Amino acid sequence: MVKFLKPNKVVILLQGRYAGRKAVIVRAFDEGTRDRPYGHCLVAGISKYPSKVIRKDSAKKTAKKSRVKTFVKLVNYQHLMPTRYTLDVDLKDVVSLECLQSRDKKVTAAKDTKKRLEDRFKSGKNRWFFTKLRF
Amino acid sequence: MVAAKKTKKTHESINNRLALVMKSGKYTLGYKTVLKSLRSSKGKLVIIANNCPPLRKSEIEYYAMLAKIGVHHYNGNNVDLGTACGKYFRVCCLSIIDPGDSDIIKNMPDY
Repeated sequence: MVKFLKPNKVVILLQGRYAGRKAVIVRAFDEGTRDRPYGHCLVAGISKYPSKVIRKDSAKKTAKKSRVKTFVKLVNYQHLMPTRYTLDVDLKDVVSLECLQSRDKKVTAAKDTKKRLEDRFKSGKNRWFFTKLRF
Repeated sequence: MVAAKKTKKTHESINNRLALVMKSGKYTLGYKTVLKSLRSSKGKLVIIANNCPPLRKSEIEYYAMLAKIGVHHYNGNNVDLGTACGKYFRVCCLSIIDPGDSDIIKNMPDY
């Protein structure tokens, strides 16, 4: 009786190029739109997870290993698996519907989410979100 | 072993309540529509047959946990559940959207 596909919910993509990747819902369209007459949502997710950092890595190496590659996508609800986790990063100003209109806007949106997600990763919070799902 | 202790009497009462829901309420049958009703939080109770594949059963239970919707594990397989719904096909899971005159929501969410 509780809607759970809300912004800041962590979901796992099930289909497509990014299957198995974790993402966070930025904006949900329950009723659909005219172009997409089904429930879907705008997600921002990780396409390349940060790799494991060990103690003997130099500072330059840790910086390189802690990078996160992100993506922005509109996904059908059917192709998502919701989880009980949430990730409260404010991505609403960065990621919006219009940033999917053209390629450069999409790239800049992905770059801005990359910055925010990398800060979150380095702060050590939401560790589950940044670990790769093994399957 | 709550399922074993469930007597014939309570099993028949579930069937009676289901029949009343089929007659007077709104429901959806089948895995895809059950997930749809759980996502939109329209469902009020989800009933799963006992021979539902365990991965599918866990998935429906997880969705229902997120949506805070009750799940009832029916004491019978999908053939029995289909018969209980008055249908001539197998029903592995169903979701009750509007119970109509039945009191299945108030009385059944045990388990």
